Amino acid sequence: MRNIMMGIVTDKYNFMTEKTGISLDTLYQKTEKVTEECILNDQVQQSLKAKPMEEVDRNSLSKYFAYIDLDHVSEYCYVDNKKNLYTRSYSKIPYQYFEDSLLVQQLGTSYADTRWFVMKDYLFGTGEEALFVGRKVHSLNYAHEPGYLFFKMNPEFLQSLLLEEDNLTQEAAIGIMDPQGRICAYWYPEGFTLSTEQEAVLADYAQTQGYGSLVENEKISGGILSVYKQEECGFSVFTLVPERVLGKEITKVFWVLLVIYLLVIAIAVVLSIYFSNKFTKPIKELNRAMTEFNGEDFSKLVHLNTKTELDQIGNAYNEMLSNIKELLDEIRTQQKELRTSELNMLISQINPHFLYNTLDTIYMLARINKEETTMNMIQALSKYLRLSLSKGSEIVTVEDELENVKSYLQIQQIRNENLFTYTIDCEVDPKETWVLKLILQPLVENSIKYGFCEIYEGGQIRIHVYKQDGRLILTVYNSGIPIAEEMAEKINALNGRLLSEARKLFPKNAKNGYGVSNVLTRLRLKYGEGVLFTYRAEQDGTTCTIEIPGEGEQHEENL
Amino acid sequence: MTFFLLMMLCGMAVSGCAGTESENTVKEESSVISIPIIFTVDPTTGKKNNQELADAFNKAYAGKYYLDVEWVLETEEEYRQNLRRMNVTDSLPAVIYDVCTIPSFYMMMVEEGRLEDLSPYLEEDLSWKTKIEPFVLQGSTYADGEVYLGPISTSAFTCAGMFWNEDLFAQAGIDRFPETWEEFWECCDTLKEHGITPLALHTEGTGWAPMLIATAALAESKEGAEFMRQMLPESYDNESGLYLGEVLQKLFSYTTDDALHADYDVAYSNFFSDKAAMIPNGYWQIDQIPENRGDEIRFSSFPEHTLVASPETFGWAVVSSYPDEVKAAAVEFLKFRTEYNKKEKETLFNQDLTDKPQVLKDYLKAFSRADQIVPNYQVKWNSILQEETLGVALPLLAEQKITPEKFVQMVQESVLEFKAEQ
Repeated sequence: MRNIMMGIVTDKYNFMTEKTGISLDTLYQKTEKVTEECILNDQVQQSLKAKPMEEVDRNSLSKYFAYIDLDHVSEYCYVDNKKNLYTRSYSKIPYQYFEDSLLVQQLGTSYADTRWFVMKDYLFGTGEEALFVGRKVHSLNYAHEPGYLFFKMNPEFLQSLLLEEDNLTQEAAIGIMDPQGRICAYWYPEGFTLSTEQEAVLADYAQTQGYGSLVENEKISGGILSVYKQEECGFSVFTLVPERVLGKEITKVFWVLLVIYLLVIAIAVVLSIYFSNKFTKPIKELNRAMTEFNGEDFSKLVHLNTKTELDQIGNAYNEMLSNIKELLDEIRTQQKELRTSELNMLISQINPHFLYNTLDTIYMLARINKEETTMNMIQALSKYLRLSLSKGSEIVTVEDELENVKSYLQIQQIRNENLFTYTIDCEVDPKETWVLKLILQPLVENSIKYGFCEIYEGGQIRIHVYKQDGRLILTVYNSGIPIAEEMAEKINALNGRLLSEARKLFPKNAKNGYGVSNVLTRLRLKYGEGVLFTYRAEQDGTTCTIEIPGEGEQHEENL
Repeated sequence: MTFFLLMMLCGMAVSGCAGTESENTVKEESSVISIPIIFTVDPTTGKKNNQELADAFNKAYAGKYYLDVEWVLETEEEYRQNLRRMNVTDSLPAVIYDVCTIPSFYMMMVEEGRLEDLSPYLEEDLSWKTKIEPFVLQGSTYADGEVYLGPISTSAFTCAGMFWNEDLFAQAGIDRFPETWEEFWECCDTLKEHGITPLALHTEGTGWAPMLIATAALAESKEGAEFMRQMLPESYDNESGLYLGEVLQKLFSYTTDDALHADYDVAYSNFFSDKAAMIPNGYWQIDQIPENRGDEIRFSSFPEHTLVASPETFGWAVVSSYPDEVKAAAVEFLKFRTEYNKKEKETLFNQDLTDKPQVLKDYLKAFSRADQIVPNYQVKWNSILQEETLGVALPLLAEQKITPEKFVQMVQESVLEFKAEQ
């Protein structure tokens, strides 16, 4: 905890160290840029050529350095490769002084680095230590001896780095040291002095390899130390926060933290209660609605508005109720229809004998009167009714179903002379393939009723029965007016929907029902969801397709 | 539940205030060695020069070396000027090029030990040395026998001749490029008579375009060819110097009005906007032909099957002030470049040319049939002549303000001045 608080206190000083270090970077780059401009200056380059410069040009060059874009230059000295010195106009310095000043040696073997160094000023005569910026000046074009450029900087040059940090220097010791660890500029709090031990630590860091933040908030004897080293010039910025400042600051921070903690705890309690209520209330409501549901009353919906996932759970519950209700209604309707259907079936089985006898009598009368057409029609009707009425089973062979539809077609051909011809193409074994009875007749009826409503002759009806991909497929094609796309889409969309929806879309008493509801209901009741019943408008007619899962096997239930 | 949330929020509050120990920001060296280099982006076409080479190297040496390219929008001439500035401020990249196109600079760099001697590396790695054509290696070898320019593999890409516009030639009723200098001057006259400016020239820089033609013409004679082979000729006050002045003056009578005091980019624009029928330059300009130009741009050697080339101008140098590991990496890059250049040549000469641009077919034909390769004046003649004298003398010569004799005199003064600086 103490370390955390120490970190909080010293972070601002560490930040200041880094900021001052970056300012040091900028200051170095500035000296680099200014000396670069000097090197590239035409007159400076001219001074390096073999041909000596005119006196007037030399004077001009001396003044040039006085106007460079660098603050806090105390003195400058440029020496060309012909031992000419260029200094301020009032400084008449002999070349020997320059040679004796040992400035050149400070530049080392580097080709043209910008060097910062601190040394006693023997050139301009003060004898005091000062910061110098120096650089070799090479010719752009020729392998001549280089010239040398030096700026002696005022103390304000480095002090400008800390002008903005005045308030912090009242508390912490800040300084700038050269690569040897000599302190070139410092700002210490009143009464502060560096101990010998501290000076040794600083000197070690000054001579350390690497650059950037060398150390941050390191505990040393008497305080906390941060050091930032500039990469190119090797000068370092250090900040030492004395222990007494740390103690004072830590106490302050401790109280602030305590208040913050108390505040946080208070807020946490309030928020906990608030959120607890917010989350548990809707859960309770949901729980009550579920436990109270008796399977009869579907009107008790849950209304949640928490703007959380609980709302979705509530909505899902409501939707589930709605679905259950719909399914129950469906089941009830189906049961009712089933009962009615069974009743009708029974009724229809009572009368066949009477009907057949009557038809036989009419047939005999027609034969006596040689009414051949009447005979054919009665024969066809008789066959048609035989399947429709006499065979109680709902499932018949394809042979019977085709016989039935053929009878119906013959009756219609007699009724509508020349209106149409028909073909039946059965690719399955008609005796061994079973199908729900009376599913083709409504489709054929639709073909005549709607397909041929605008023609008077030449229509074609093709019935095709085949197996494909494990399904029994029955198609009825008519060459009449193609079914309207809208109607076809409406019918096709019924596949996969609930039967109740189909009935709503095609009520039994609707005029244009296409017998769809009847056929689809029976197919779905018999074969389930897998059956497909589709209409497709062709270029020259309409095809209705029934796809029955399985291949019309004779299951027990089919008997 | 309430209690749990309370504890959780308290925990979050406490941990939020704790903070983490700040990281040490002392920079660590990466294991990948970075090789700084500057490549130019052509100001006229926007094309990044040598991008494919850089990408190929970085891909081949991923994780080991990285060619750290600084892309700079500048002309080749500006790059050369910047080289000198970067040298005196000690801010050169690790690999530099175009060094020997400024002889005085090249000599200075060698004398001041600024360039790494590559001959030990060549001797150590004979597989590298054997990939270099003897003509190229000879050109890249300095007077003292050391090699400061990492050579390319072949001179196949280094030759300069004449690009010409077939459509403009056709308008003047000319159906082929002249094969003799006599025919060349007749060709210029015919183009001029048909209202077509024959030559795209300029006077700034080192007068590259007019100087290419003039030095190729100079080498027609035996004496002229011998003169062109001299390194830093001490005298231009002879028949060769005079002929050079005469040819230059004549050339400027066939060029555009804006040629004076303009740089090569103006000549380039004039040629590719159909304002002039011919422009001299090297193989590398094929890549700089605008995309919308068709097969009407052709290439021929200068008359008498003459090409201008100094393969050493394509040698790249390693700056010696870099740490040893960077220099070693830079040498690896130069080896890679030699190999890359070798493969380029093999591809170029072995490819099916059916669908290739006509100008490329022309270049290959001219290269294979060249009777004479004239050294590039840029690597032979003194820098003062190239950079100061020609810029002043060419416009005067073009405007007939000085005679060829005076031109020779100005050139000769540059020789003296250069000698004095040496």
